[in-house]
Amino acid sequence: MNVLIVEDEKSISHEMEIYLTRQNFNCDVAFNGKSASDKINATNYDFILLDLGLPDMDGLDLLKESKKNGIEGAFIVLTARGEVEDKIAGLDLGADDYIAKPFSLAELHSRMQAILRRKHGLKSNTMSIGDFEIDIQNRTVHCNGELVNITKKEFDLLHYLGLHKNRVLTRIQLTEHIWGDVLEDDYESNYIDVHVKNLRKKLVAHGNIDWLETVRGVGYRVNI
Amino acid sequence: MDKIKNVIKSGSQTLQVKFAIYNAISKSFIILAFMALLPLIIEKIVYDHIDKRLQARSEKVLKIIHKGGIDDIVLEQDCSFESYSILKEEFVAIYPITNLSDTINGISIANESRNIEGEQLVHRILTLSFIYDNQNYKLEIGEGISSIDQLKSTIKKFSLWMMLGVILISIFLDFAFVRILLQPFNKIINTKLKPVPAPINFDFTPIPSTTHEFNQLDNRINEMMHKLQDTFQLEKEFISNVSHELQTPISILQNRLENIIVSENVSDEILIRLSESQKTLSRMSRIIKALLLISKIENDQYLKTDQVNISELLDEVIDELEDRIAHKNIHIVKRFYQEAVITDCNKALLHNMFFNIINNAIKYNNHEGEIIVTTRNINNQLIVEIEDNGIGMEQGQIPYIFDRFKRLNKSTAEGFGLGLPIVKTIAGFHKISIDVTSQPDKGTCFKCTFENKETI
Repeated sequence: MNVLIVEDEKSISHEMEIYLTRQNFNCDVAFNGKSASDKINATNYDFILLDLGLPDMDGLDLLKESKKNGIEGAFIVLTARGEVEDKIAGLDLGADDYIAKPFSLAELHSRMQAILRRKHGLKSNTMSIGDFEIDIQNRTVHCNGELVNITKKEFDLLHYLGLHKNRVLTRIQLTEHIWGDVLEDDYESNYIDVHVKNLRKKLVAHGNIDWLETVRGVGYRVNI
Repeated sequence: MDKIKNVIKSGSQTLQVKFAIYNAISKSFIILAFMALLPLIIEKIVYDHIDKRLQARSEKVLKIIHKGGIDDIVLEQDCSFESYSILKEEFVAIYPITNLSDTINGISIANESRNIEGEQLVHRILTLSFIYDNQNYKLEIGEGISSIDQLKSTIKKFSLWMMLGVILISIFLDFAFVRILLQPFNKIINTKLKPVPAPINFDFTPIPSTTHEFNQLDNRINEMMHKLQDTFQLEKEFISNVSHELQTPISILQNRLENIIVSENVSDEILIRLSESQKTLSRMSRIIKALLLISKIENDQYLKTDQVNISELLDEVIDELEDRIAHKNIHIVKRFYQEAVITDCNKALLHNMFFNIINNAIKYNNHEGEIIVTTRNINNQLIVEIEDNGIGMEQGQIPYIFDRFKRLNKSTAEGFGLGLPIVKTIAGFHKISIDVTSQPDKGTCFKCTFENKETI
């Protein structure tokens, strides 16, 4: 998978590059609109991660131009503006997703996976963890054919852990994924622990969940 | 703005009323004084007239005597003469003076009470002495003054009514004049000193006036409002810019931490500390996001183009919070009015607002507590009430709960105190007034009234 990171802030593009390379993406970096435009037209990228605030041009213009030129790669708009108007404009111009800065790299990765599934119609829309079958489309969990009754937030949590299997996800990463858009006062809440506790209780009634590990003082991990 | 309102004393009166009262009192004083002096003035004027008349008559009598001799007049034995008009209102009398000490120098005029033919009458009497034929005579010319009292009371009555009329007319005229005079002043108060949600809403339209002081006042108020607005704007821009600028370094740190956390050669101990750092960074990031959100709303950077069914929105919020509600085993009662549709609003912001309010109702509730969420339509105004029976708060805390970075409740020591300021800002943006009532250990109620009547 080829990814172009269009971001003028070098430290950010560098960290994105490290993370995505570790996830087996081939990363290319452009620090301004001009070089980004050249690269987009020269290489067939699967993903273009586009920062809106570029030094030489508006990221949205680049997006518009690329779409006009028939570029097929998926665009994810990254913006520090976080403004609703940008979101609407970005999506209307053909961006596949929008993510506001500061964002978590794990979140970015899961969004990319979601786009991949959508665009390339991955073999199936299910994910299996142990004896459990997660239907991403219908947002349900089955174990040996039996439906496991979990809440929406619990589903999000399990799905997110499953997407990042074998890697620890910290409580903050999980919190930001589940309560992403909500600006909560209570940042240190133990809601994630409560969610995991409830999730475990519901899952264990159906099958073995040894794969759901607690990383003490840090977070959780699906280990398969 | 509410604080300003409280400063205005409830018993204070408008300038116009004060002017009217002052005018009425001062005029009444003048008239009372005039009424007290009036009898003296009348007396003085009337006596002056009578005295002049008496003098003229005395001169006439003396002329007749000098021309025709006294004998024609003085017929009686004792050489004296008295003549009264029929009603005894006037008389002329001449007496010879035998005793020289009775002689008067010049003329004397005095009031005297006399018994005339059995009737006690008061006259104004002019007395003078003259010599005729080596004989000293005393001339008395009198005029009755009983009619003066009558005159006095008539004039008094007349002037009293006239004065009352004049006072009434003048008070009315004063009132009208002061009203016209104060018109620009009242306009300044009503437009310039009107409570506004933010300095951005100040009205700078100059108030035309021909009064120099009012023009000065209006100009100075405008100048001060401009200064206030500029300062406010600068502060907002500053917060917005700082928050914006801080996002990039936070992004870098956040991404770097994530990369270090997932790298393989990190010991467990370092991992814990990294995750703690992530938590700290996340806190900072949320504070900045909250500040940015508030400043963006205040700068009108959000659209209000959505049409939202508030009852459905509340359902969504409650749905989103189902885990937290279940965790505390809280009973939710929904009393929804189904057609609670609001137009020209921002759904995401309203969602955020109700999320914060209901989340607080959960957070400050007891296990097995209850939350009643009601939507009602009263006089075409949508009212949303979120009432819990949780820990509540002291009356004195309520005015401060919407202040930024205020932490009142010890149990929220971990929060950053921007949840309710966000609620307030979103409410202000949508013209929703929020009334909070609370009692310790009884619970809290947030009553949101949509002032926008455009419910359909």
